[in-house]
Amino acid sequence: MTDTTAHPPITSRDVWLTARKALLAEEKALTRHRDGVNAMRRRLPMVRVEKSYLFDGPDGELSLLDLFEGRRQLVIYHFMFDPAWEAGCPGCTGFFNSLGDLSLLAARDTTMAIISRAPLEKLQRYRASRDWRLPWVSSFRTDFNYDFHVSQDAAIAPVEHNYRDQAQLEQSGQERFGRGENHGLSVFFRLDDEIFHCYSTFARGTEGITDAFSLLDTTPYGRQQEFEDSPAGWPQRPTYG
Amino acid sequence: MTDDNTRPAHPPIASRDRWLDARRALLAEEKALTRQRDAVNAKRRRLPMVRLDKSYVFDGPNGEASLLDLFEGRRQLIVHHFMFDPDWENGCPSCTGQVNALGDLALLAERDTTYALVSRAAFAKLERYKATKGWQWPWYSSNRSDFNYDFHASQDESRRPIEYNYLTRADYAARGETPPSRGEVPGMSVFFRIDDDVFHSYSTYARGLEGLTDSFSLLDLTPYGRQLDFEDSPPGWPQRPTYG
Repeated sequence: MTDTTAHPPITSRDVWLTARKALLAEEKALTRHRDGVNAMRRRLPMVRVEKSYLFDGPDGELSLLDLFEGRRQLVIYHFMFDPAWEAGCPGCTGFFNSLGDLSLLAARDTTMAIISRAPLEKLQRYRASRDWRLPWVSSFRTDFNYDFHVSQDAAIAPVEHNYRDQAQLEQSGQERFGRGENHGLSVFFRLDDEIFHCYSTFARGTEGITDAFSLLDTTPYGRQQEFEDSPAGWPQRPTYG
Repeated sequence: MTDDNTRPAHPPIASRDRWLDARRALLAEEKALTRQRDAVNAKRRRLPMVRLDKSYVFDGPNGEASLLDLFEGRRQLIVHHFMFDPDWENGCPSCTGQVNALGDLALLAERDTTYALVSRAAFAKLERYKATKGWQWPWYSSNRSDFNYDFHASQDESRRPIEYNYLTRADYAARGETPPSRGEVPGMSVFFRIDDDVFHSYSTYARGLEGLTDSFSLLDLTPYGRQLDFEDSPPGWPQRPTYG
C-alpha cells in the first residue's frame, strides 16, 4: 500500500467482532436512553398561547391556528433569515435540504411548517430555485420570533437562548447567541380553536431531526406506536404492520 | 371548547413557570443524551476494520461492478442493505420509507463518502422500482454473489448460519427469541478503501438504522465521522472547523 492516509487499525475478523459487539452494547444503551428521554418529553405539560400572531404566507395572512391546517399537532422549524439578509442561513438551508418525504406526519395528524422573520418576498425569492415542499411563512409583522426566543433584541424582549438569559450566556462565553437570529424547533398542540405551546428546542437539540419519526418524537403524541411508553389514552397503533 | 369528554387525550395544561421548570429538567436529560451519542460516535470511529479478501460481483447501471467500483473513487462507502427478495415485485415498504426520507446527501461526497443501495433482487427489478419512486441513488444487485449472506442481510441456512444483529441461532435460543426466518433483513454496512484494498469497518441492523436519513447521521457511521473539529477522533483524522 502506498496510500498514507490515516485509517482505522486493520485487524482479524474475530478481533473486530469482539470490538463491534462491545460497541453494539453501547449503541443499544443509547437507543434505550433515547426512548426514555422521548417518553419524558411526551409527559411535558403545555402552556396556552394567549397572544395572537399574524404570519404572511403565499396566499395571504395566516394565524398560528391556520398553520395547523386542521391537524392536532404543529411542528415549526425556526429558519434563520434576518430581514436585512438577502439569503437564508446556510445551516438552516442544509436542514431544509435534508428533509425528504414527510407524509407520515399528516398521517399522524401533524403539520410541519417553516417560519422566518424576513419578509415573505425574500423567503419566496430564496426558495424559488429550491425543491422545498413545506409551507414557509414570514413572522415579520409579529413578535413570534422574539416570544419563542429565536430572534434576540433586548429592546423588544429579554434575551434568552436555549433557556439561558443574558447573564448566563455571558458566563458561558455564548453571548454571541444573545443577538439576532437563532435556529430552533417549536411544537404546538390544538384543542378546538385553542393553541398550546408544548416544546421548543435549540442549538444541538435539532440535530438529526430530519425524518418523520424524529420529528414526531418532538410532539406530545410521539410516533404513536405501541412500543412507546406513553400516558394513558395516547393514540397508538401496532409498531409492526 | 367542547366539554371534556369529547376532547382527545392531551398533555396537562400548566402555567408558563411550571412548564419552564419541567422543560429545563428535560433539557438536562437531552444534553446528557447528546453527550452520550457523541461518546458512542467517538468509539465507533475507533473500531478496527477487516480486509476483504473475497471479491463480489454486482450488477449495476454500467454492467458488472466490484465492491471497489461502488466507492466511485471515494474513501468511504455506505451500503444500505435494502430488502428486495428476488421473488418480490416491489421493495420492502419500510426500506422504501427510509429511502423516501432521504433528502439532499451532497455533503457525503464532499466528505469523500459514497452512499449506495444493494439488494438481492435482479437488477432489472431494482431499476423498475427505482423509476416508480423517482430515486437517484445508485442501486446495485447482489443477486450473483454471496454479499448479502456474508453481511447478514439475507438469511439462508443452506448458504450460511443464521446471524442477525450479531446474534446466532444459539444466541436467539438462549434469549428465548425467534431468529429471523429465511430471507431478507434490513441493515447498513460501511467500507473503507486504501488504494485498491477494501475493508469492512461497520454494520448495523434493526433499530441501529433508525434516523439514518441525513448526511451527519450517515457520516457518524463511518470511520472519519462528520470530520468536524468538535469530534473526539484519532490523530490524523480529517477535520475542519465545526462552525464556518
